[in-house]
Amino acid sequence: MSNEKHVRRFVVHIGIAVAGMVAAVAMAQTPRPPIKVGAMIPLTGGGATVGESGQIAVELAVRNINAAGGIAGRQVQLVIGDYQTEATVGVGEAKRLIFQEKIELLVGPTYSQVTLAVLPIQNEAKIPSVNVSGSEKLTPEVGPYAFSMLANAEAQSKVMVDHAVRSMKVQSAAILSDTGAQAKTAVEAIKAELAARNVKLAGVQEYQYRQTDMTPQLLALRRGTPDVVLLFTSNGEDTGNMIKSMNELGWNVKVVGSFGATFSGPALKIAGKDAYKNTVAVNYKGFSFCPSEATPKSFQDFVASVKAFKPDAFERQPLAYLSLWYDAVYVLKAAVEGTGGKTDGPSVAAWLETNSRSFRGINSGLTASKSTHFLIGQDALTVVYPDRQREGGLLERVGC
Amino acid sequence: MDELIIILVRGIGLGAVFSLVAMSFNVVHNASGILNFAQGNMLILGGLFGFFTLPQEPELVRWLLLVPAAALFYAAVLAVQGWVTLLPLRSSVEQHSWLITTLAVSVIIGAVILIAQGPFALSVKSPFPNFALLGTRTPTPYALAVVLAVAWYAALHWFHTRTVTGLAISAIAQDLEAAQAAGIRVRRLQILAFAISGAIVGSAGFVAAPVMSISADSGIIYVLNGFIAAVIGGLGSNAGALIGGPLVGVASMYAAFQYGGQYQNVVSLALLIGVLMVRPEGLFGRTRARRV
Repeated sequence: MSNEKHVRRFVVHIGIAVAGMVAAVAMAQTPRPPIKVGAMIPLTGGGATVGESGQIAVELAVRNINAAGGIAGRQVQLVIGDYQTEATVGVGEAKRLIFQEKIELLVGPTYSQVTLAVLPIQNEAKIPSVNVSGSEKLTPEVGPYAFSMLANAEAQSKVMVDHAVRSMKVQSAAILSDTGAQAKTAVEAIKAELAARNVKLAGVQEYQYRQTDMTPQLLALRRGTPDVVLLFTSNGEDTGNMIKSMNELGWNVKVVGSFGATFSGPALKIAGKDAYKNTVAVNYKGFSFCPSEATPKSFQDFVASVKAFKPDAFERQPLAYLSLWYDAVYVLKAAVEGTGGKTDGPSVAAWLETNSRSFRGINSGLTASKSTHFLIGQDALTVVYPDRQREGGLLERVGC
Repeated sequence: MDELIIILVRGIGLGAVFSLVAMSFNVVHNASGILNFAQGNMLILGGLFGFFTLPQEPELVRWLLLVPAAALFYAAVLAVQGWVTLLPLRSSVEQHSWLITTLAVSVIIGAVILIAQGPFALSVKSPFPNFALLGTRTPTPYALAVVLAVAWYAALHWFHTRTVTGLAISAIAQDLEAAQAAGIRVRRLQILAFAISGAIVGSAGFVAAPVMSISADSGIIYVLNGFIAAVIGGLGSNAGALIGGPLVGVASMYAAFQYGGQYQNVVSLALLIGVLMVRPEGLFGRTRARRV
């Protein structure tokens, strides 16, 4: 009897154990819900040219991340919001992504005026983000959970002025910029830098995005007879139109451009093969080369993956810019995994403020802190010849 | 002084493009009371015609043959648009569905260009070299746009004053109901007016393509400035359009030169408000009696 009782108890224990194991396996196999990542990209409007690069980069990053197991074991579901390069549309798209689509992480926007407009919505929902904007107004106070992959306007401005003063020995400079928020910040930063170095400011002018004829602005600047024009632009088309107008006026002044001036594909189409004979521009050191240096393998792999992903659009892509969007997704992945899977703004931001240097992506050596959320600092920048390219868009450094 | 002359010449050239858009507005508006807000993107389509039909280094003969081809092609396109726009309307004067229809056509054209050609602006080369002006080189398409604007003005003037069809359209413009009562086939003439406006913007887009931004979202610049030119000149007046366009072009370029590029677009609107305050009917517009 006692033996039978013992057997029965044994069977019950085994049953409980088996049931427990089955339940554990079942729980382990239950797929975790996907992590929704929003991407605010200007697919239409004045910024559509850079928007195409953003879309390719983000889609490629998400595909690669999902193939490798997702973020903290969760597959990524991408939701794209096209804000038409308009801040008002951006606000609506941010609300849709955050409150309707219920995204947990956000990549973008680019164009500072849009980023600044959507930050209050992000802050309210505590959504961590990595944007591609460069206005100095993007401080940790304004966007406690927002970080930027774009070299900020001040960093670019310092490199531009430093090159003009040290390498070109200029005594006077004029500033030409687009009407975006980042450019407005940059103009102030350039003015301050020129004043600090005792360089005469010969004139300041602005142009609207996609303006084909910039001769009025250039004629106004030419009156000041500057030694150099410091061009703060956000895309290659505007750069091409500026150079074309300059050529038509027969004005052979030297030009030092911002990062946007390195998008040479459209510029060369508009202004011809000699477009950059007087122009150099700021670029990321990681996307520059000296003729004696070999191209890093990681970079070659990245280029190959973009080419395989979008062969039709590959030729016109500014890969340095594209890599910023690509890395933006991976930076968020690193932060979420670094916090043990948390996706709330305070946790992700705290991790990035102390650990961004450990990030290893296409762009490394990130430098965010509690005092600045710009992941890329001045030391990561250099000056290049935009039309001297290696395969994949690496640009030759000035002064090799 | 040299700088002002350069600004003046380029401003008139750019303004001539606005004049052509304004005239295309007028032709349709006079015949139907409709303002076709798709004209900006139709102009871009004219440029796109040049992109697809001209080689990298276009020859003059081919270019000359393609100007009327562009005009005819877009005349046909606009005739279809006109037919679709007018279809649901018993009278375009009383109903306003055209407002949505024309805007919808504009949006559709922009979307199709974006999908088919991508976001980058397309470049078209001119068969003519730039001409010299005070030590600078000025794109010849600016001068060609002026010639085309004057040519279209003269052609429209002749059409409206010397042909039976043109006179019939003028009759519609004066009194639609009286024209109907007199047996004029109003709908057919309204579609013809759409076709003529298509010929104007099609040829304008083709000729001015080398100095235009040919992209999915550029149409708004031209339709807005063309509309401003039409209103400043006096809606319905082609002479007004011919003057209004260069006024807008020169004013915007001068504002950029003298006060900064940020004022380039603002000044067109300021000019519009200024003219409307002093002369609500526009510079060449006529006041009309209204039945009450």
